[in-house]
Amino acid sequence: MLTVLSALALLLVAGLAGGLFARRALLLTRIVRLGKPTPRLGELPRRVRNEAVDVLGQRKLLRRLIPGLAHAFVFWGFVVLFPTIVMALIGAVDRESTIPWLGHQGWFAFLVDLFVVLVLIGVATAFWIRKVQRPERFRGSHLGEADLILALITLIVTTLVLWHAARIAVGLNEWPAGWSPVANAIAQVFGEGTWAEARERILVWAHLLIVLGFLVYLPYSKHLHIATAAINVFFGRTRARGRLEPLDFTVEDEAAMRFGAGTVADLTWKQMIDTMSCTECGRCQDVCPAYATGKELSPKLLIMGLRDQLFAEGPKLVGDAGFQPSALVPNAVSDDVVWDCVTCGACVHECPVAIEHVDHIVDLRRQLVMVDSRFPSEAGQMLRDVERSANPWGKPQVERADWTEGLEVWVLQPDEPAPELLYWVGCAASFDERARATARATTKLLQAAGVDFAILGPRESCTGDPARRMGDEYTYQAYAQQNVATLNDAAVTKIVASCPHCFNTIANEYPDFGGRYEVVHHTELLAELVRDGRLQPAAGEEEITYHDSCYLARHNDVLAAPRELVSRIGKPLEMARSGKRTFCCGAGGSHMWMEERGSAINEERAREAAGTGATTLAVACPFCTMMLDDGMKQVGETMRVADVATLLAEALDARAPSGATSG
Amino acid sequence: MNLVVLEHVDGAPTEVSMQALTLAQGLGGATHALLIGPGAREAAATVPVAVAHVAEHEALDAFAPDAWAAIVCEVSDRIGATAVVAPGTEHATDALARAAARLGEPLAANCVAVTPGNPLALTRVRWGGSLLEEALLHAGQALLTVAPHTVFAASPGSPGATEPFTPELSDADLVVTVRDRVAPAAAGVSLPDAKVVITGGRGVGSAEGFGPVEELASLLGGAVGCSRAVTMAGWRPHTDQVGQTGSKIAPELYIACGVSGATQHIAGCKGAKRILAVNTDPEAPIMSVADYAVIGDLHEVLPAISAELRRTAS
Repeated sequence: MLTVLSALALLLVAGLAGGLFARRALLLTRIVRLGKPTPRLGELPRRVRNEAVDVLGQRKLLRRLIPGLAHAFVFWGFVVLFPTIVMALIGAVDRESTIPWLGHQGWFAFLVDLFVVLVLIGVATAFWIRKVQRPERFRGSHLGEADLILALITLIVTTLVLWHAARIAVGLNEWPAGWSPVANAIAQVFGEGTWAEARERILVWAHLLIVLGFLVYLPYSKHLHIATAAINVFFGRTRARGRLEPLDFTVEDEAAMRFGAGTVADLTWKQMIDTMSCTECGRCQDVCPAYATGKELSPKLLIMGLRDQLFAEGPKLVGDAGFQPSALVPNAVSDDVVWDCVTCGACVHECPVAIEHVDHIVDLRRQLVMVDSRFPSEAGQMLRDVERSANPWGKPQVERADWTEGLEVWVLQPDEPAPELLYWVGCAASFDERARATARATTKLLQAAGVDFAILGPRESCTGDPARRMGDEYTYQAYAQQNVATLNDAAVTKIVASCPHCFNTIANEYPDFGGRYEVVHHTELLAELVRDGRLQPAAGEEEITYHDSCYLARHNDVLAAPRELVSRIGKPLEMARSGKRTFCCGAGGSHMWMEERGSAINEERAREAAGTGATTLAVACPFCTMMLDDGMKQVGETMRVADVATLLAEALDARAPSGATSG
Repeated sequence: MNLVVLEHVDGAPTEVSMQALTLAQGLGGATHALLIGPGAREAAATVPVAVAHVAEHEALDAFAPDAWAAIVCEVSDRIGATAVVAPGTEHATDALARAAARLGEPLAANCVAVTPGNPLALTRVRWGGSLLEEALLHAGQALLTVAPHTVFAASPGSPGATEPFTPELSDADLVVTVRDRVAPAAAGVSLPDAKVVITGGRGVGSAEGFGPVEELASLLGGAVGCSRAVTMAGWRPHTDQVGQTGSKIAPELYIACGVSGATQHIAGCKGAKRILAVNTDPEAPIMSVADYAVIGDLHEVLPAISAELRRTAS
């Protein structure tokens, strides 16, 4: 009789909780199904690997050891303890039954005990971090919600272990009690008594009701990530993190054409799941150069703003096809937030749940630039110059090869045979005085090593990257098509690029337009030449610190080659923020052509570099060169800023003072 | 029936207004004109349309966009206009956008050509002139502005009747109005118009260091500019900045003092006829674009030039 009543009661409560959960889950699913398409299915093995490493292995979380371990304990605990929910469901109806086999295993009972303790340690650590340490990264997060969730987790595992103890106390344990040291110890305290039986019933029901309450609360809270994060990681970017998804301007149906994201209805389904995966941990905010220098942008608040608008308008969109959603800018996020971003990708690299903030930013920019014509006015000049003069400074194309004066560089003519290697110089190294030094040094080095190469000269155009990162996809695609046509007509197969932005665009983005080449950065090629003994620089005693360009290190994994060169010619010193966790120079995302609000990113980075005590700051990007050289002057430091190629050429001259490399 | 809103100056319709009229007449049917404010009556007498409506009201001495919108709605309703056309100026576009909101109709801005029909087929300028958009206008009433200088003004015919009237305006219509006109704060010549521009860079050293630069500028009747480094340091406002992200200028003479000549700066001053660089560093990139150079400290060179100018003047 009691069993039947229990079963009915359980059916009622679990049905209610499950129904409420399912209702919310269905709504969220229907919202995501309205998302715009984005190809996310290729490279299955890599996706499975990401799932294993980033979700099960907690790789990104463990980059911060203490909070990472705290989270890992709770997460692994959740995975291990999951069967105990089923055990409790069965046990609530019939206290004599449990899951076949697993419920009788001593080792599993031991794991339950162990993870209850680990989860409690994790939760206590999390409370300690939030209440005592109070890191800045939580600014703007929902702190009360987090406290409630932590409290619920504490209650769940506490009632679980108490229930196990109560079972042992009345001899209901299907497993040898010795396997459960914690529950067994509590059972000794409980002892046998008249209400020992009732205690077991109360605890199993208390445990279940809290679990079910948590289930209902879950999809309405930021803790939704336990359902969405694994999905988001699975569909996250696999390779080529610097590549932007192209817009399709050839769509026949104009209504279906997408110009970035104007309203929640324009978000891709991945972008929607992004917003549902954020738990407001603030790791992105912590590494954001814009946020660090007092700009309005916080990648975390950006995603939260988009999520709030999606949750406010998504249900209406699902219910009514005619519903007109409101503009994302300035309702979800302000204009300034959209323009503060330097697209350095530090946030994306740090995010444990594979949120792709930069893609959101660029989609918002696309809408603002191409539909609303609304962007920082000072950048308008750059967009016009790129469009009319094929470079962002409006210099005449005929002067593009002027930097080669006296160097005898082969400028490839339309009908000439393809060179072994094409040197893609880029606008900065073609026109800017400081960056030209890099082009000249690279040329001298290639000539000294006897490499057969050519440049395109006036037939080389801007890659379109500055326009693209501003959101002007239209101008970008025009240049992408033009440059791919030039390169394909010339039958180019291998390209060396000086500029990490050109490098990223040609290597990762031109394949979308039919341009497939082997692309290397000049530091990679030079390191290879040094390794092969074709270049033999003199070793030096100078202390050099190397600044990683975001588009080289973080977006394209080029870390080792420039360091190899630096350690050959001097004594390397690393900055705290280096490699894939480098800090932007401030020029990315077209900020070279925008005015900066708040304090300057380049000054912050210049101070950090000078703080190493090195005398030279080596860089591998013309924009980093300009920004950091300016930064040094702004903060009153005398540290020299020079491209790795320039330093290498000097080291070569030092070995061969007769001028053998002056080619 | 078409209604065209005409702007006027000194008792005559403006050129861009006549261009809008030409486009409106191409829509077919009768065309009426609407002119607003002081001087409208004289201007109306010269316009070759069947009827020129002249709105006269004491509150219309200064431009008030909502009042204009109210008048456009009132007249278009009275004559049963199916299309309202205005020149794509800042004022007329402002007024027509507000009228569109009042009427609940879309506004097609910056049209360059219109083919009559239902819906109207439009060609519009987009993306700052780099793109022409072909569009169909589905609307109960067509509201258009005409991109300036894209239509050749040719309106044959003789002027018709002029009908002055006093529009009904509420207080709300007059909330936004031009109260005062203020010239740019900078006394003297503005940066883009100046024949001579003297620019200070990081080498000036401080906000106070601009003294000699300002002195020379006033002696030469020129304007003071600055480089991005100066703006970043907070020594001068961004309005003074010459360069890619500031003003692009083309003076007769450009004097760059203590400016290294970053690409972003040179992009703003390369239009100058003559460039004189004053710099302690003979290797500075500015030298590659300078016609003349003085290698020396600007704090010594500029006062010396000023002193010489004063001496020759007296």
